[in-house]
Amino acid sequence: MLDFRKRSLVRRLVLLAAIWTLFVLLAAGAFLTAQFRDAAIRRFDQSLAVLTDDLYAGSTVEDGVVKAPFLTDIRATRAYSGRYWAIFAQKSGGGLSAIERSRSLFDSDLMLSTAQIDRLTADPGKTLYFDMRGPQDKPLRAAAILTRLPGHPAPVVFIAAEDRSPIDDDADRFGRITAFALLLLGVGLIVAIVFQVRFGLQPIFRLRREIAGVRSGKAERLVGPYPEELEPLAGELNGLLAHNQEVVERQRTHVGNLAHALKTPLSVMLTEASQQGGALAEVVERQAQTMREQVDHHLRRARAAARSQTSGERTPVEPILDELAVTLERIFQDKNDGRGVEIDWRCPEDLCFQGERQDFMELAGNVMENAGKWSKARIRAEAKADGEGRMLLTVDDDGPGIPAEQRAQALKRGQRMDEHTPGTGLGLSIVDELARAYGGSVTLDDSPLGGLRVVLSLPRAEG
Amino acid sequence: MRILLVEDDPDLSRQLKLALGDAGYAVDHAPDGEEAQFLGETEPYDAVILDLGLPKVDGVSVLERWRRGNVATPVLILTARGAWSDKVAGFDAGADDYLAKPFHTEELLARLRALLRRSAGHAAPSLSCGALRLDPRAARASVNGEPLRLTSLEYRLLHYMMMHQGRVIGRTELVEHLYDQDFDRDSNTIEVFIGRLRKKLGADRIETVRGLGYRLIPLEGETAG
Repeated sequence: MLDFRKRSLVRRLVLLAAIWTLFVLLAAGAFLTAQFRDAAIRRFDQSLAVLTDDLYAGSTVEDGVVKAPFLTDIRATRAYSGRYWAIFAQKSGGGLSAIERSRSLFDSDLMLSTAQIDRLTADPGKTLYFDMRGPQDKPLRAAAILTRLPGHPAPVVFIAAEDRSPIDDDADRFGRITAFALLLLGVGLIVAIVFQVRFGLQPIFRLRREIAGVRSGKAERLVGPYPEELEPLAGELNGLLAHNQEVVERQRTHVGNLAHALKTPLSVMLTEASQQGGALAEVVERQAQTMREQVDHHLRRARAAARSQTSGERTPVEPILDELAVTLERIFQDKNDGRGVEIDWRCPEDLCFQGERQDFMELAGNVMENAGKWSKARIRAEAKADGEGRMLLTVDDDGPGIPAEQRAQALKRGQRMDEHTPGTGLGLSIVDELARAYGGSVTLDDSPLGGLRVVLSLPRAEG
Repeated sequence: MRILLVEDDPDLSRQLKLALGDAGYAVDHAPDGEEAQFLGETEPYDAVILDLGLPKVDGVSVLERWRRGNVATPVLILTARGAWSDKVAGFDAGADDYLAKPFHTEELLARLRALLRRSAGHAAPSLSCGALRLDPRAARASVNGEPLRLTSLEYRLLHYMMMHQGRVIGRTELVEHLYDQDFDRDSNTIEVFIGRLRKKLGADRIETVRGLGYRLIPLEGETAG
């Protein structure tokens, strides 16, 4: 059993309309055909009644014998022509005995059933109509009247009958034509309904496309315009998107505030410990260090968790690489005996990361900072599109690099590969975590510059 | 050496004052943004240690106001916010170095020493082209006094063009002075860097001479240096 709630709206609407249309058209067809048949038979009956009246009016009784009038209708004279008449006398038992009949009857008779005779007897003087079988077993329509003729002892029955197959044929043909016409009408109506529904539901399809666009980061909200029935829905969806954004933002700010509020006290503890010296100071310093790593870790987790809920947005890559390059060269200006680090970066101007600016800055900043810590003179960073919806950020340095067997370790949290350079030593694991939250990846490799190559694969926003 | 310490946390302030005093610096302390701004504008400090999370006026605003008011004192910012977007915002506001909390006092002192050493040699801009100025010793460039944010490669290219301003310089010559080694000499390297410089300096300051190369020129109404 199909769940009706899951059926497509289009199919549901078309199906309902089709069933109703079919029902109405069938009823209309049956009604029209019946009406046509009735009208034809009424006309037919009238002409038979005229004939019966002629027979009745023209018959005379001579010496107790009924004489049929001379009828001019040529069809009554040819054998089996289809038009017949007969005159009967009712016997005392109720049965009929033939008095006269048309020549067209030839060797057969117009036979009334007992029930029909009873009806005639019950209603003398009135013309009644019957269906009966005639010569060659043709269906006949008959008009009969039972009456008394002056000078005749028994009641006399006049019957006129005619082959009804022409009207049946007419009615059947009419029925077929009507059915065909109604079928055409029905098909036309259903096609019209399909179009109407498809066109009428267009805004819903558009809404779906827009929502998909928001999800894939091409838009931040639904733009519309929508028909008045959908406008409130679109408005609610926009409200929900905004609310979602706000909740994520608030959550992020909350966690951020907590984490940052802890950092000044940690600084105080570290400084105090380093000034006091001794066993207690050592413990405090070690614990403060752990706390700091924990704070950093959970701060990132909160960001990554918030990440999966927010709707995607587009972040142009080029200006961020520029800002990071300038900033990092400043940060590293005293390195390498005051020669600093030279950052050479390339990026197409139209390249956009699909996600938040802050997050891309964190990703690229940490990778480039890590490269800068190790480099002897230069870093190379290159961002480029990588097929459908992906981009690559490749960062090379000319430092010592990481041996292949230690690379997997370098991405793990808490692995302090770079213990001898200042900083937290968590740079690459932050990057790995954040890249995963974006459905991306980090790979480490040998760099043509001689050091480490870090390749980030990230989602790209389509232009 | 006279240092301004701007920090609102009393414990951290006390520790830092102590440590800086031990290291031989004269320290003034400002516990909030307003006082910091006032002191920075009126007293001739050799360097400022500026916490970004401050009461009354936040650190980035204080720094921006100093820089707008032509206070060129080197500034080391301290902040609990270690995200890259925060670091970049700090440098954008005019910071000279950055230290994320929590930190060791030794690291702060080392950074401060480096900062003072760098600023020691500063002199007046020695190269100019119209409103464009370049100080080779500090490796800084500015337009109308607004500092330009250039990477070292961009700076090197601009420096070379300033030294040969008015002259058409070919691509090969430029690329040879951009890289001391042989890599990256592909054909559009120079276009990329010229494009970036134009974005930062203003497009009209670098003229393309078809088939020959580029020329650095002052804008109309400016005088060549």
